[in-house]
Amino acid sequence: MASTTVPEALERALAAYAELTALGEEIEDEWSYVNDLADAWRARLEGVAAARVGTTIDPAADAAIERAIDEIGRIADPHRAIDWLSTFPQVALLAIGETP
Amino acid sequence: MRFQDAARDGRAVVYAGIQADPLVKRAAALLAEATPAQRVLARAVMNGETTDVTSWLAMFPALFGPSVPAGHERSRSEAILAASLEVAQRGEQVRSQFRGAIVEELTAILLARRTGEAAVHRERRILFDGVRAEIHPYDVTVEREGAAEAYDCKWGARGISDDVLHQLDDARSHAADEDVALRAALVVFDAERSCLVRLGRLNAPHDGTTIVPLESLDRIAAPAS
Repeated sequence: MASTTVPEALERALAAYAELTALGEEIEDEWSYVNDLADAWRARLEGVAAARVGTTIDPAADAAIERAIDEIGRIADPHRAIDWLSTFPQVALLAIGETP
Repeated sequence: MRFQDAARDGRAVVYAGIQADPLVKRAAALLAEATPAQRVLARAVMNGETTDVTSWLAMFPALFGPSVPAGHERSRSEAILAASLEVAQRGEQVRSQFRGAIVEELTAILLARRTGEAAVHRERRILFDGVRAEIHPYDVTVEREGAAEAYDCKWGARGISDDVLHQLDDARSHAADEDVALRAALVVFDAERSCLVRLGRLNAPHDGTTIVPLESLDRIAAPAS
């Protein structure tokens, strides 16, 4: 499903990110860290979405975010999910020309 | 304070083989020249699920998109992608070791730009008079009279632990007890934001330890300001 604006694309990214967070939470010893990490990056992504309301997204950037969502959807290992809780937002932000 | 080679136990011998792998050298050399975005690419691919090159090309339009002209930057992005995919294809356990070795090698390359190769050492213990020696060696050290440095290297923010922070802080404080300056630093191939979250959950002292996240890696090659 293609997005037309940056906030729409980030909304889809955040939905996928929530699923990734749930997978990372399976590592009980890291539950708090996982949630702190997700909170920090979610705040960054939401901040960018708020700042770019109405901004049309470049099709290549939209496709990049879609690919990144597909990539984290493949992850089954909760340890790898935790690593991607940091990596995914960086990839998404770079795709739309933002600094992580 | 004095430096000493780490014991060559079985693990060290195996790991030395990985450290000497040409792929580690090649990837680290590329990443030493890389932009922060190219380093994020390497981080993603080396820890990725897919090894389909077209997926990664599409995922990083700022590096591979139609607006990026042919030239050094694009060529380097392509070389980093190729090397990272080679790491990713090694299998989970092996690529984990490769990733660690690459961050260490990258750190050594960047440090050598500032200090010269002769001063940079790997897998060294630091001994202090009257203090029981740590078993775990430091990943990279700079051994210069009056300007020693000790580095541990981590692939991700999750690798930052109380143990690692204690060891670095202990080295710095024991050196200070001997009136010797020792810079202690932790290089993390991950975003500063993630490092700060991790540090916020740990109790070990780290005010005297420099945290070097992915965005700031080039700082360790620059003269102190």
